[in-house]
Formats: sequence, structure tokens, C-alpha cells
Amino acid sequence: MRPAVQRCFLVAAIATLALTASAARARAGDGQRPIDDSWPVQSTGPLAVDAGLVLALPATWQTGLSSGIGAGVTRGRRFAWGVRGSWSTATESSLVWTVSHDDFRLRAVAALQQPAGRGVFALRLGLGPTFVYEHRTRNQGARAGLTGSDLETSALAVFPGADLEGVVTLHIVGRWFLTISGGPTAIIADGALHGGWTALLGAGWQP
Amino acid sequence: MRRAGIIHVAPLLLAAGCGKLQGFDGEATPLVSFQVVFHGDLAPLRPPGVTDTHALRVALVWGAQWLTEPFCVLPPESPEAAAVIAAGCRDPFGFVSNVVSVGAPIAIDVPATLTLSQLPAADVLVGDVTARVAYASLVVFDDRNDTGTLDLWQQFPSFINDDREGPPAIIGRDPPDIIYGASFVTMTEPDRRVAYREGDFDDLSAFYPRAGCDPPTPGFSVLAAGGFTAQAAVAALLTGGLPQEDPSLCTVSAPDERTIAIDARPPADVHEIGCQEIRNDSSVHYLEPPPWRPDLANGNFACAHLPTFDTGSAQSDLIQLVVPSSGPPCKFLTHYTLRGCREDVNCAIPDWDFTASPPAWWPCGP
Repeated sequence: MRPAVQRCFLVAAIATLALTASAARARAGDGQRPIDDSWPVQSTGPLAVDAGLVLALPATWQTGLSSGIGAGVTRGRRFAWGVRGSWSTATESSLVWTVSHDDFRLRAVAALQQPAGRGVFALRLGLGPTFVYEHRTRNQGARAGLTGSDLETSALAVFPGADLEGVVTLHIVGRWFLTISGGPTAIIADGALHGGWTALLGAGWQP
Repeated sequence: MRRAGIIHVAPLLLAAGCGKLQGFDGEATPLVSFQVVFHGDLAPLRPPGVTDTHALRVALVWGAQWLTEPFCVLPPESPEAAAVIAAGCRDPFGFVSNVVSVGAPIAIDVPATLTLSQLPAADVLVGDVTARVAYASLVVFDDRNDTGTLDLWQQFPSFINDDREGPPAIIGRDPPDIIYGASFVTMTEPDRRVAYREGDFDDLSAFYPRAGCDPPTPGFSVLAAGGFTAQAAVAALLTGGLPQEDPSLCTVSAPDERTIAIDARPPADVHEIGCQEIRNDSSVHYLEPPPWRPDLANGNFACAHLPTFDTGSAQSDLIQLVVPSSGPPCKFLTHYTLRGCREDVNCAIPDWDFTASPPAWWPCGP
């Protein structure tokens, strides 16, 4: 799962770069049609919906890589607001335990946006809870015949969190755009501030 | 309606917020626990010179797969050979230690708990990945050097390990720990053993066999058997079978269903459990006779034919000199022949051949 997500990230990033380069060549090339003519952008409204693949540092661990999906909706132009959510999972092992953490991030977001050509640069602040569902399996337990809570345990916890992300949006054609975002995150767990990072690469739709 | 939904969800969220993530912290859940009780009076059993019990402990010791040499298990051809077998051959049906696992302090008549946090490693499991099993004996010992574990002993001729020329020398140190009892000493006595099984069970396996008993259950279990006689075992082996246990004396129990009782015994009866064996192969190593007279164990030696299980072929005319180890705790034999190779006494091109001119001290025929 994780290598596949990473491959998707790589392919999408390459595609974004290729499209950007293509647009530049279209403007610079003599006798070629401007890209705005070939791939006209039709987005004019304040609403934007996007979804994509998420990579992040696990919320309560300072190691590993949590991968999953995220989505969000914002409304506004220079100043936008909205909600976002993501799920990502990471599994790590010690000699005794195999532990997986499913991180559910729910955020109310506010963003400052600056259009630039076919793209939009934005700085997005998100506040909201991070739910962490933990599943622990005792290594070797199944082979030894353990069952029930001796073999597996699970827990769910919620922490207040905040994200500050830089966002780059590139309108491709019609109402569709590619978006890439990333930045630091923080949650408060056990009375202490735990830092991390998150990134999203995805596509969106803006009417 | 919406407010009612929020009211229902709010306790769930609050409960979620109260959850405690453990991550990799916390005590490892025990994989299995065994109850052990040790009975007996150690005072009359102590070896000479030992006046106290320093630190009585019980250890779980996984068993090794080991084959004795034919000379030790076939009928002796002479009284001298019988004496050498008695002095230098380990009980061919005895439990042979491989790896010492967990241990715990134990007191007389007070149950103790042995807890395993790890499965036995693959090197103590016998069989393939679809059907393999490990057996363990619970060994009670006096931890006289305070290592917290049973120190296994290795005592065998040095030439086996280092290929050194010359007469054999004993390597290995004196055993510091004193063994006072074990749940599984030999297959010729009643035993109680710990079993760990993965996958199927091979009824034809000769790894500490319990033919006639139910197989161990998958995972951990505690087994008991009544034992078989050495004569029955040799007879079964010569016909390619396994000696049968008395089914009425066999039990298979879950670890938490049975307390394993161990009776105190004289250390001389059980000290062999502390001896590790060379298990690189099952071949017998032979030595060329040195020019000088080796230590012949105060006259306890035997001149004997080379043993064989093949009763149809003619017996070799080669006579070997067999000398037992000079004393406890671990027994072994040293074999000298006038002709042969170290790995194969019947090699076509011998590494040595003194049949025409044996050393002056050679006590056997040519």
C-alpha cells in the first residue's frame, strides 16, 4: 500500500511538472496556440473541492510514514474557509508488538489565496481534532495460541491539532485542477506539543 | 432530530477522548505460563563438600536432537566393552539439552511460575515449517555462580572441535551449577515435558517419541508419558519402528491445567542434563594411536570390533581401542584404530596405518 501511494505521488508530481513545462513552452513557442486556448479554464466560482493522497508523520509517533487519503472543501476567493478531513495509517513493529495507528484528521480551515496565472498560491491554517485509532497485536501471540485481549488490543483517542500548509493549485482544464499542499502539523498529547508534517497531492474541481 | 444525534455521538467522542494509546509501551503479554512445584529434601542429596543450597532455581530447557553412537547402544561384545559403555556412554534415551530458556527462583514445596515471553526459536524446533515441534524439560538446579540461569556444560575431546593433532584433551570447565531434578530426564522413565507444536504432527518422528500417546496440541502443552524400557526401544529401532508408550499413562494438558511436579534426586542421577553434545553430525571420530601411551582411564578400556547395525555383512577385522572419559559430569568415548581416517575409519586411502607395526603400548590385536 505504502509504496503504491509513494509511486502515485511521484507520478502525479511528474505530471504536474510536465504540465507546467508544457504551459511555459506553449507561451514561449512561436506559431503554437496558447495553452489557454487549448485547455481553457472555466472555473469562476468561489467553491473548490479537492481530494488526494496523503503522506504524513504519524500523529503520535516521531517515526514512520503514515499514508492515506484526504479531501476538503473551501469557499472564498482571497480569503477562503472550509473543512477538510483525512485518514492515514501507519504500522510499525517492535520485538513484542505490531502497532498500527489510523489517524483521522478533521479540520476547520481558513486560507489566504493569491491567484497567479492558471494557478493559486495559498497559506492554509487548519484547526480541529485528530482521532487516533490504535490496534496492537502481540507478536508470536497467534502462534502461541493467545486469543482475545491477550492477543490484540485497540484504543481510540482524540487530540486537539493544528496544521499550517502551503498550497499550490494549478488549473488544468475546464473546472479541474491539480493541487499539492504540505506543511507542519501539531497536536497536544499528554500535555505536550507533538510536531509533525503532512502533505497532500490530489485533484480538485471548482465550478 | 439533529440535536438527538449529536447527543448520541457526544458520549462516544468523550469516551474516545478518554482512550489511552499504549504504542509500544507496557509489559509484554506472556505467551504462556507454567506452574512448577519441587518436592524433596536436598540435604542428603548434596554432593560431597557442598554444605548449603545457594540459590535454588528452575529453568525451562529446550531439548536437542542427538544420536548416540552405535557402540553405546548395541549389545557389548565383552565385559570390558560393557564397562566402557557404562563409564563413557551417555544414556541414549536421555534428554539432551540444547538451549536454556527462562528461569525463576523456586523453593521446596512452593509452586513457582515460569513465564515465557518468546516462542522457541527455529533452531530448537524439529520438523519442517508445516509440522514441527519442540520439547523442553523443567530443570531444578542450585545456581551457585549466581548467573540466574543454568550453565550448560561442554566436555568433550578437543580434537572434535579444533582439528588439533595429538592426543585428546578435555575442554570445558567444571560445572558450577548443581542439578537436583528435572521433569524430563530420560524416555526410559516417566516424564513430564513441555511441548510446543506448530502445524501438523508427525507420528513417525523419532524426536523424543511418544508412540501410543496422543500428539501434543498446537501451541504450548504439558505432556506426560510412562516411559519405555531400553530393551523395547532397541528392539523397536532394529525393526525400524518406535517404542510404544502405555496409553493409560499418557496425558496432554493445557499449560494452565497442570502443575508440573518435580522430585528431588541425587545430582549424580540427573547431572547429564547439563551436558551439551556435539551435534555437527552423528559420525564417530577416530584417532590414530599416538607414539606414547595415552591415558587409558586406569585400565578401563576395551578392544572391540567396529559396531554396525548391518547384521547381514561380514564384521570388519579392524579392532578399535575404546577409552571412556575419565570422570563426571559429561561422558564421551575416545576411539583409536591402527588404520583409518578421522572421519571414516573404513576410508580407502587411510591417513594412518600402523597395522604392520603397532605402537609398543597398543593393548589390542592388529
